[in-house]
Amino acid sequence: MKDTILLLAMNGLIWGLIIALIALGLSVIFGLLDIINIAHGDFFMVGTVLAWFSLSATGDFWIGFIVAPVIGFFLGAVIQRLVIQPIHGSAALSIVATFGLSLILQEVVRMTFGATPRRILAPIQGTVPLFGVDYEIYRLFAAAVAVAALAGFFLFLQHTRLGIWMRAVRHDRETAIAMGIPAGRVYVMTFGIGFALAAFGGAVASPITTVDFRGGVDVLPFCFMAVIIGGLGNLPGTVAAAVLLAFLEGLIQSMASPTIARISSLVLMSVVLLLRPQGLFKGFVK
Amino acid sequence: MNPRAIEIGLALAAAAFLIAVPWLVPLLADDFWVSVMTEILIWSLFAASVNLLFGYVGLLSFGQALYFGFGMYGVALGIDRLGLPFWPSFGLGIAAAMAMALVSGIFAVRLSWHYFAIITVVFSLIFYFLAVSMKPLTGGDDGINFSLPPVFKLGGKVFSLTDPTFQYFFVLAVVAFCFFLMYRLINSPLGKSFLAIRDNHLRASLIGLNVYMLRLVAFVMAGFLAGVSGALFAFFGRYASATYMFYQVSGEAVVWTIVGGAGTMFGPLVGTALFIVIREIVSSHWEHHSLIVGLFAILSVIFAPKGIVGLWNGWMGRLGERETAEAATSPLTVQAEP
Repeated sequence: MKDTILLLAMNGLIWGLIIALIALGLSVIFGLLDIINIAHGDFFMVGTVLAWFSLSATGDFWIGFIVAPVIGFFLGAVIQRLVIQPIHGSAALSIVATFGLSLILQEVVRMTFGATPRRILAPIQGTVPLFGVDYEIYRLFAAAVAVAALAGFFLFLQHTRLGIWMRAVRHDRETAIAMGIPAGRVYVMTFGIGFALAAFGGAVASPITTVDFRGGVDVLPFCFMAVIIGGLGNLPGTVAAAVLLAFLEGLIQSMASPTIARISSLVLMSVVLLLRPQGLFKGFVK
Repeated sequence: MNPRAIEIGLALAAAAFLIAVPWLVPLLADDFWVSVMTEILIWSLFAASVNLLFGYVGLLSFGQALYFGFGMYGVALGIDRLGLPFWPSFGLGIAAAMAMALVSGIFAVRLSWHYFAIITVVFSLIFYFLAVSMKPLTGGDDGINFSLPPVFKLGGKVFSLTDPTFQYFFVLAVVAFCFFLMYRLINSPLGKSFLAIRDNHLRASLIGLNVYMLRLVAFVMAGFLAGVSGALFAFFGRYASATYMFYQVSGEAVVWTIVGGAGTMFGPLVGTALFIVIREIVSSHWEHHSLIVGLFAILSVIFAPKGIVGLWNGWMGRLGERETAEAATSPLTVQAEP
């Protein structure tokens, strides 16, 4: 009993770190472009599929870790130019446009990859004893990769020129443009980065979950919850909320069915929304 | 040409077409399209419930499928479990949807814009998962099937929805009545105060409108529309299933509404008809019809950001140098809130 609690809580924690990566992409796109991205779950799904394709093409799983975010970035940049830019940051229209995008991505994957869900064998097999349970090594590795990617992204935002531009445009678009920051290019890059983060999350998660053209549908509400509970535009808050939500869900799963766990986290979410609509962490992190 | 005359002519032609469907459509295509038309009418009422909230009150709900689902289950459980006749189960479905809308509205309408959109999704997801897990009651994803009781008996003749022509007219009558109610609502003082809240809820509260109460009223009314459409869909499909409570169903209605023209009376009908007709035509020729639907959604917001009816109103406005109030203040232009 104690072992199951530990196992599921750990699973939840690690899943939360991967979700955090995806939700971060969603939050960046939302904060900078004011786009409600219904297709974000599918960006994740595309990442899992790219990982599958690069594995079956080369026989090497690790290539997917590069292929997924790189292709994701370019897809995101193209999508921004073709679909997102023409609607001029209207949030309501963005819902329709990204809904259409979601249908197209799912259908293209169904045409090329097929409708049958597949599994990827973890590239690192075996378990290690951890707090008295045998835990899969790959999951621990995935957690480490997710943490590294999260840290890398925050360093990128703080210390690179593009990262500073992104924060500047977000903070005050008009002034940023007046100071000579190419806002149009920043938008393209931001959408690309948002897609790349989700696709990378997909590649990392691909041996843990199933590769399926509908794989993004379940992930999407979860990411939105993390973004809202963490506080709109509060990036560290998003990460914390994703980890907290998934951890709690894992914990409850060890005592009740997965559905009950999902329902409890949704109820928790409503309570947070009603009592602290500005997010759980406002005032804690800046 | 006078735009007013064009619109009246168009409305008459549309009405004549809708009445002639059971005879005209089998002549032009085949019987199957009568049931497609029935389905379009039902879903357009569902889109109208999104439109009432988003187009007229400025609240973007992503969870209307919850009330659609309650309408469905009210009917299915009423007939299958309680053994109720037609009308009481219809009433049960609508009442269940409105009660649910009241309970969730009490919490949801406190929030605005993004937060409102998210909490409506969250509520609908909670009940979706509950419905999936309570299999003995709801049948889960498989749903419950039931056989239709007769609508009424007149003399010795039994009228039942198993007759496709009667079913079409029954749905048409109910949907037309609901659209008529909505038309009356929008042009009433209550409707005007909805518009005031949509355009600026702060100003609306400063002139003495009770924004919370009015939003709640609108939310329950939208629950009514969604409930009626859910109940009709249960009669139409002779079953109820938890899958119709999933957030994607709500999302489709949002898309239909915005593509058709949010904040216009018949925008949702036009959007729904367009998407369902495309789906039906393309899916019989090509397995990957979603591609076309997705492409169409994207192109329509790029080229007709005010929706198809909004585009039409713009043309008519230019034709007669006439600014319709609807085209001037579309909800898409006024959603930035402080």
